[in-house]
Amino acid sequence: MSGAPLVADGLGKRYGRDWGLRDCTLTIPDGAIVGLTGANAAGKSTLLALATGLLAPSEGSVSVLGRDPLRDPSVLADVGFVAQGAPLYRSFSVAETIEFVRRTNSGWDDEIVPDLLTRISSRAKVGSLSEGERARLALGLVLGKRPRLVLLDEPFASLDPLAGRELLQLLMDHVAETAATVVIASHVIADIERVCDHIVLLTGGGVRLESNVEVLLDSHRLLTGPRRPLGSIRGVREIVRERHSGRQLTLLVVTDGPIVDPSWTVEPVGLEDLLLAYMAPERLPTPRTSEKVPLRWHG
Amino acid sequence: MAWVTWRQHRAQLVGAVGLLVALALAALITRLPIQSAFNRDSLSACLPPAARTGCDLIVPHFENEFAGWVAAVRGLAVLPALAGLFVGAPLLARELEHETHRFAWTQGVTRRRWLLSKTSLLAAGTLLLGALASGVVMWWRGPFDTLEGRIGPSGFDIEGLVVPAYALFALALGVLCGLIFRRSVAAMTATLVAFGATRFLVLEFLRPHFLTPLHRIVAATATGSQGAGNWVLSDTLVDGGGRQITAASENLAVLHAQQARIDPHSYIVTLGWKRVISYQPAGRFWTFQLLEAGLFVALAAAVVLVAVWLVRRTPT
Repeated sequence: MSGAPLVADGLGKRYGRDWGLRDCTLTIPDGAIVGLTGANAAGKSTLLALATGLLAPSEGSVSVLGRDPLRDPSVLADVGFVAQGAPLYRSFSVAETIEFVRRTNSGWDDEIVPDLLTRISSRAKVGSLSEGERARLALGLVLGKRPRLVLLDEPFASLDPLAGRELLQLLMDHVAETAATVVIASHVIADIERVCDHIVLLTGGGVRLESNVEVLLDSHRLLTGPRRPLGSIRGVREIVRERHSGRQLTLLVVTDGPIVDPSWTVEPVGLEDLLLAYMAPERLPTPRTSEKVPLRWHG
Repeated sequence: MAWVTWRQHRAQLVGAVGLLVALALAALITRLPIQSAFNRDSLSACLPPAARTGCDLIVPHFENEFAGWVAAVRGLAVLPALAGLFVGAPLLARELEHETHRFAWTQGVTRRRWLLSKTSLLAAGTLLLGALASGVVMWWRGPFDTLEGRIGPSGFDIEGLVVPAYALFALALGVLCGLIFRRSVAAMTATLVAFGATRFLVLEFLRPHFLTPLHRIVAATATGSQGAGNWVLSDTLVDGGGRQITAASENLAVLHAQQARIDPHSYIVTLGWKRVISYQPAGRFWTFQLLEAGLFVALAAAVVLVAVWLVRRTPT
C-alpha cells in the first residue's frame, strides 16, 4: 500500500470569487466506508472532482493512494469514480459501454459486471435505461476496475429508495470481498447512515466533522431538562446546540465524562440529528458554539 | 483507444465517405461534357508553346462555357473546414457539454493519452479522405489546369497537398476551440472564423512571397494577360526610372494626348513607360504546394500540442 486512500491538506478550490471548497484537511483511513455529507454547495462534488483530477486545486494539495491525481493521472486506474448523475454515453449500448471501460483500464475484471447487470439486456442503449439501471451499470463499471478506492457522488439522487438500497447492498457485498475504501457523497444522511462507519461533514468553511461513526455517537448526548441559565455542566465539554421549547431546554453536547446532575435527562442521539445540528451553525444561539469544533478522534 | 475512436466517430466517417463518393460521382458526371467539348474544339492543339491560329477565340469560348462549373468547384475550398466543424469541434465540446468527460477521463487511460490517441487517429482519417478528395478535384480540373494553369488561387486552393493539410489544420483548430469554448456551437463558430482568417492571411500575405516573384517588363501597349498559367500578382505601369505610375497620372497622360490629338498609346510609349508584370510562374506549383502544406501541417501540430497541454489544466 502506498499511502492513505485519500488525503487532503488545506485543499481549496475557487470558482471566480466564490470558494467551492476551502480549508479542507482530512485523511480517509484505509478500508473505511465514508459518508461525505454536508449541505448543498458545501463542496462535496468539488472535493471528489479534485480527488479525480477533474479539477486543479486553487490552494493546498490532495493525494489519492499516495499520488497526485493531476500530476500522476495513472492512479485513476485504481480509483472507481461515479460522477453525479452517472454520466455515460447515451448512444452506446450496454455492451459497448462495458467494452469502453475494458479498453481503457488494464486491470479490468470481466467477472464482475455481469453479476450486477442480470436484468439489463446488453444490447439496450444506455439512453433507454431507467435511472436505476443506469446507476447499476455505472456501479458495475466502477467495480469491474477492481478499484482500491471507490468515489460515488450523490449515487442515490435520482433513485427510488428501493433501488438505492439495492445499489448500496451490491456495493457493500463487493467491497466486503476486496476491502476497498469507499467514499459516498450524499446530502441525504439516511442513505449513508446504514453503511458508513466514518463520517466527513463539510460546510462552506471546511471540514466541520471528521470521525468514526461509533466514536461520534458515543461522545454526543442529548440533555433535556427545565429551562435555566446555562453555566458549565459537569461532564460536558462543549454545547453543540441548544433548543428552547416552552420551559423545556434541550442541549446537544459533547461529553467528556458521565453527567451526574440528576435534573438532566440524558439520551443518546441519532446520527442524522447529530449531523443536522452541526450542519446548521446559523441556528446556534451562542457565539461560543458557533466556532469550529475541533473534533478529530481517529489517528 | 482505436476501438473507442472508431465507436465514437464511425458516424462521422460514414458521413465523410458518403460525401466523398457524392463528390466523385458529381465529378464523373460533369467531367464527361467537359472532356467532349475539349476534344470537339481540339483544345490540346492550343496548349503552349505551339498554339494554332484561332485559339484566342476557342479557348475563351470553352472557358466561358464552363465558367459556372469552375466557380462551383472553386467553392469546394470550404470542404476542409468541415473536418474542423463536424469532427474537431465536437470532439471535446460534446464530452464537456454532456459531462461524459467525467466518465471518460476517470478511467485508466490518462486524459492526454486519450486526446492524443483520438486526435492522431482522426488526423490519419482526415488526411486520407482529404487526399482522395484532392485527387478527384485534380482529375476534374485537368483540362482547365492545362489551359489556365493551377498556381493561381482558383486551382491551388483545391488541388494537391494543401487540401489534406487544410483539413488537418481545421481538425486541430476544432479540437482546441472545443476545449476552450466547451459548447459545440460556439466551438464550431470559432473554428470557422479562425480557419477562414488563417487561410485568408496566408493567401494574401504569405503565399505570394514564398519565393521571390518574377518580373517581366513588356511594352506599355502590350495586350493580353501575358503569361498564361502563371499567378499574376501585380500588373503596373512604370516610368523610365522604374517608379510606379498612379492611375491619376495615367489618366492625365491619356487626357493630355487626346487634347494634343496624339494617339495615347504611342504617347505613352514616347514617355518611356513600361508595363511591369510581377508573377509566380506555373512551374513553382509543387514547390508552393509543399511549402503551404508544410506550413499548415506545422500549424496543426502546434495547435494540437496546445490542446494536449491545456487539457490537463482546464478546470472541468
